[in-house]
Amino acid sequence: MEKENTFDPDLVHEIFKLVWKRKATERGKNELSENMDNEVGASSSRRSRPTFANANALKLSSEFLRIFVAEAIQRAATIAEAEGSITIEATHLERILPQLLLDF
Amino acid sequence: MLNHSPTMDGGMASDVEREEEEAVTDLLRDRFRLSTITIAEAEAKQCGMEVSLPIITCISDLAFKFAEQLAKDLELFAQHAGRKSVNMEDVILSGEFILVDISHRNDHLASSLRSFSNDLKTKEPNLERKRKKSSRREDRVARDLLHTPDT
Repeated sequence: MEKENTFDPDLVHEIFKLVWKRKATERGKNELSENMDNEVGASSSRRSRPTFANANALKLSSEFLRIFVAEAIQRAATIAEAEGSITIEATHLERILPQLLLDF
Repeated sequence: MLNHSPTMDGGMASDVEREEEEAVTDLLRDRFRLSTITIAEAEAKQCGMEVSLPIITCISDLAFKFAEQLAKDLELFAQHAGRKSVNMEDVILSGEFILVDISHRNDHLASSLRSFSNDLKTKEPNLERKRKKSSRREDRVARDLLHTPDT
């Protein structure tokens, strides 16, 4: 019951996998063009294999992303409160955005 | 000649592949947005605030980009360590500075983070030794508040 809302580690995993797959294909292509004359050996297939992650790393990444969202909301809420508003508006987000992006 | 290579990108299919990939990305982005809405609304409720939906969407897109960048960072860290798999150390390394910084300002976030990493730590006790090396500052803060005996 203590468990808070967070991102699903599986969802995070899928995002990561997508990025890594994209990078791996890029790497594979580079290797291919570099090694056109040479033998395309086992090394290229090894290097172009995508990265993978373990379960705890994914859980921690999900928590990390959750903190990003939570920070954004909390900082914006502080600004909104200072301005006496009860809804967080675009202007509040604009105010905190530069520092937020610098911090993360 | 290309037959020797086990990579499956056959030049002609790359356009179709790219389109497919974009469709998958969009799908993920939408799923990500749904989670963000839940998190953001819960967080705003705690602050006694309302959040308008466009703001959440904006934050969600930012967080998605952040996730993509995080993936790239983690891959590089893992590669630098000579691994093909990303583990907790890589995540901690990529977040160390921010998380320490936030811990000083934000008590709620700090305590939730501490208990979270502690949870994972007890599950994987062999990692703790290395963690101490990589994030001494964070651990020191954690020890002040949490006196859970290590297993």
